[in-house]
This record gives sequence, C-alpha cells and structure tokens, in this order.
Amino acid sequence: MPDETKKPTADRGLIWTAIVVVYAAIVLFPIFWMAAMMVMPDEAMFARPTVWLFTPTLEHFRYVLELGFSWNLFASFVLSVLSTGLVIVIGTPAAYAFARFDMKFKDDLFLFILATRMAPPVCLVIPFYLIFAKLSLLDTFTGLTLAYMTFNLSFYVWVLRSFCRDLPVEIEEAAALEGWSRVQIFRQMVFPLLRNGIVATAVLCFIFAWNEFLFAFMLGGEAVQTLPVSIPKLITSQGVRWGEMAVVGIAALLPVLTAVFVLQRHIVRGLTLGAVKG
Amino acid sequence: MLRAVIRVTVARMTDRIAKANACGPSWEPGTNEDKARGVMTSVSEAVPLNAAAAQPPARERFWYPYLLIAPSMLTLTVVSLIPFIYTVYLSLHAAKFGRVTDFIGADNYMTLLTDPRFWNSIGIALIFIAIAVPIEFMLGLVGALILNQNVRGRSVLIPLLFMPTMMAPIVVGLLWKIMLAGSWGLISYNVLERFHLIGQTSIFASSGLALYALIFVDVWQWTPFMMLAFFAGLQALPLGPYRAAAVDGANDVQIFFNITLPMLTPLLVVVGLLRFIDAFKVFDTVYILTGGGPGITTETPSILANKMTFEFWNIGEASALAVLVWIAFFAFCNVFYQIAKKRLNAF
Repeated sequence: MPDETKKPTADRGLIWTAIVVVYAAIVLFPIFWMAAMMVMPDEAMFARPTVWLFTPTLEHFRYVLELGFSWNLFASFVLSVLSTGLVIVIGTPAAYAFARFDMKFKDDLFLFILATRMAPPVCLVIPFYLIFAKLSLLDTFTGLTLAYMTFNLSFYVWVLRSFCRDLPVEIEEAAALEGWSRVQIFRQMVFPLLRNGIVATAVLCFIFAWNEFLFAFMLGGEAVQTLPVSIPKLITSQGVRWGEMAVVGIAALLPVLTAVFVLQRHIVRGLTLGAVKG
Repeated sequence: MLRAVIRVTVARMTDRIAKANACGPSWEPGTNEDKARGVMTSVSEAVPLNAAAAQPPARERFWYPYLLIAPSMLTLTVVSLIPFIYTVYLSLHAAKFGRVTDFIGADNYMTLLTDPRFWNSIGIALIFIAIAVPIEFMLGLVGALILNQNVRGRSVLIPLLFMPTMMAPIVVGLLWKIMLAGSWGLISYNVLERFHLIGQTSIFASSGLALYALIFVDVWQWTPFMMLAFFAGLQALPLGPYRAAAVDGANDVQIFFNITLPMLTPLLVVVGLLRFIDAFKVFDTVYILTGGGPGITTETPSILANKMTFEFWNIGEASALAVLVWIAFFAFCNVFYQIAKKRLNAF
C-alpha cells in the first residue's frame, strides 16, 4: 500500500526497519563472508572449527592478476557495452512503435519477441555453435554480441515499451501540428523524454550481458573469455583456488552493485516488466 | 501553454534542422525535403493547421511503424528464428560428432521420448519449479509488503537486498559451493554438521539432498527479484481507493484482499510466470554446483541437453530435445500472453 494511506507512528516505522535490516543481514551474510575470503589466508579458510579472526593477506589478488584476469574484465566490459549499445540503437524505435502505433499482426510480432526472451539459451547454443563454427564467429566479440541479442533485445523492447506508453501522446500531436517531421519528433522529443526508461532498461540489459555464462562459455574461448567464464578455470589440478574465486566473484559484483545504487529508482521501475501502468 | 512552448522550441530548432538536413521521411507540409523525396503528395501540402493535420496520410501511417520495428525484427529473425529452423533440421537427421549425415525422420524424437533420462530431467525440473517458485513468490510478496511500510533508509537497503539477484548466477553457485563445501564450508560445519544433517561431505554430493540444496540456492537468489518487482508494483498503485477505504473504516486485511491484491494481480501473474519459465531454464548454478549429479539426481533438461551436445556429441538427439522444449515454451508463452493481455490487461 502506498505510504500515505496510513499514519504509522515513528515506533512502528523503526520496527519494520529493524525487521528488514535483520533479514538483510542474514540473507547477505554469505556475500560478506565471500568478501572476507578475498583476504583470508588458506589455512584460516579450511580450518575446523571456523576461524573468525585472521591476518589479512593480498596473496589471492596477486595470483588473480598473474593469471591475467584484467583481460577477462576487459572482455566482459567490451562485450557488455557492445551488446547493450546495439540493443539501444535498434530496440528503442521498435519499443516506441509497439507502444504507439497500430500494426497488422502486432500481437503476433510481439509474441515472437516474448517467445525469443523465453526460449532456453541451452536450446540456442547448439545451432549457434554449429553456425558460428561455419562462419568462423566462434570466440569473437561479433558472434557473442549477436548471441546476446536473443535475450537482451527482446527484453529491452518488452520493457521499454511500457515506458513509451507512459509518454503523453498529446505533446507529439502538438509537435506534429507545428509541422515537425516524425524523425524530428522521435529524435528531439521522444528520445529525451524516454531517457530514464532507456537508462533503466539498458542497465538491466548490461547486467544480463555482464552475468551471462552459457553463451560466453560455449561460444567464447581464449580470445573472448568473460569474467564469469574465467571462474571455473580456478578449479585446477592442484585443487580449487577458493580465495581467488572470491576475488573474481566480488570483482564481478562490484560494477553491477554500483550501477544499482546509482540508478535504483529507474531499475526498480523496469522490474515491473510493463505490468504496471505508472 | 504546451503548444506555445513547443512553438518556441520548434522555431529555435528550425535553423539547426535546416542545416542538419534532417534525414528520413517527413510529413511537414511543403518543405523542400518532401518535394525532393517525392514522398508527399498534394494532400499533405493542402493540409491546414488544424486538428485534422495531426493525422498523417494513411499511406505513411501504414509503413512508418514497420520501418521502426524492422531492425529489431530482422535481428531477432537472424538470432532466433533461423537457429530454430536449423535445430529442427538437425533433429531430423543423424548428427553425431558435428557431422550431419542421413535424414532419419522422427528417430531422434523416438529415442528421446523412450529415454528414461529425458523423463527424469523433466521430473526434476517440475519438482524444482513446484517447490522453488511458490516459496519465492510468497516470500517476495511478504517482503514487498513489509518494505512498503514506513521503512527507513530504503535507498541503501534496496540495492543491498537486490544483491543476490544481480550477482552472476555462476558467482551465486560459487558462493554456495563455498558456504556448503564439505568439512570446512561455513554453513556445512556450523549448521548442517552441528545438527547432524550431513556428515563431513558437501550437501551437493548427497543424492537425496542435492536437489533441495539447489532449490534453496534458487530461492536465495530470486526471492529479492520477486520482492522488488512486487514492491515497485505497490509503489505505483493509485492512492484513491486507499483513501476511500480509510474513509469507510476498512481494516488492513480487508484493504489487502479487496484493493491491493486485485490491483496487483497483473504484475503478480507476469512476474510469477516469468520466474516459472526462468526456473525451468536454470543452468549456471546447477552446472557449477552439481553438474547434474550425483548420478542424474539433479540433471535438469538444460544440463541434459548440454551434456548431450558437448559431452556425448549427440547433436541430433540434443536438437530434438531443444525443439520439444522450444515448442512447449512457445505454446506456454502464447497462453501466457493471451491471458495476460486479454484477461488482465497486463501488457
């Protein structure tokens, strides 16, 4: 219920806050423990009973850098930016068109978009692998960017469409009366008004691309190896490098966490997937 | 007022546009561009500046939206429709070790449908969904209602609460591999072993418990998503009905069941079904935590298809599996879309 409907006392608000904080502390504790493992010496890590206090070490960071994880970070970044950028360029007009115009077979076309988002990636990876092998697209940024279109372009059009629907149609009609061309209306009026929606949806797309594992694992390789794909590499013949895994895991989380902190309002709105008319 | 603002803006932009020679079709009456492009007819030049002028000529209205969706549709055709057709082709052929040979009709499908391992994977997916999704849904709804109370410091709490969902699934798997590692895992040692739930092995190595451990991880990861989506929905609800209810002296329970729940239903359905579908597709966490084991006790269809392709190189049968899953999903999607659109007005 919206806040204003009730007039809870300050005490009540504090109780609710306390409940949420306790819940968050329990649920998030594993993440904090993993963060601690970044600087935990191996002896402390495997100790029984659990060691709660230890002398921090930077050993794991050193090892991770030696293995060339900065390249993995770079590859992840390039791939996420490339695929998100492409999605914005080709997806925005489509989302606008689906929200604003009547089309023949509009429902069927939109269903096709939804179905693409729903299709299991593991079903797509087989044909992609064989087709990419023929076109020498395996282990290239182009190939993976294309593969990422399946879930990101469809998601983007789906969610941005609801933002487009919220734009006042009157303002566009007024501009049309003034003799603006459609391209002008789209570029000078719709695009700026839609900026928040585009940012919200694009950030979600960026997160999906950043976190993606299956395509990157099967269609990538040595040249294009993203951060998530590099994690199983730490299961070595000498044992699993747990501390290093923690470093990579937290490193993968940080950019996303920052983005969510900065853009949280927009992102939360994007999460309603167009099922709420705002 | 609005029109005045726009008029000023338009005037200011005229120069810039003339210089930039705005590309694309225009339905601005009588510009050089129109004439040059030959797009416009005398109809548009005769259009007076009144309400009717807001309606562009029928011919243009027809193709403009198609132009806008063309790039997306083309891309999705290339990355989704063509791979699908290729998969159907593969599923009808003997295809092993990357070599596609004879057309064998429905043989791959027959092999698959008589394979107990296939049905095992479907059963596991159904158990997984039937337990995980309702728990996530209920916890998410309760969490959203609590979050929607007078909670302080939401701008800090929300990103923190959202962390499990926005972590890479592979990192989530890794995290729980660490927490539940045999003998030294933090939760294994301090909770599970202490209460004699498991011995010194990882819970993921237990054929009876591994699936439930995976369900637990899924709940941990996706409850925040449900919570925040529902919270966003609650925040967007109109205030009017609540004011009316307050005037009528309705209590909290009445308000929830008579106002909040009905207004939130479209969102609940869309988010719930999306999670349902995504839970069926679960791959990353299972891959890193159990890889389908022990034995085949946690082998979901995604894991099975992946093994068939990249371990057994039995591409024909894997394609048959993919096609079946694909068709099932498409049918499901269709029903979902029809219900969501027509009945709930959710799209």
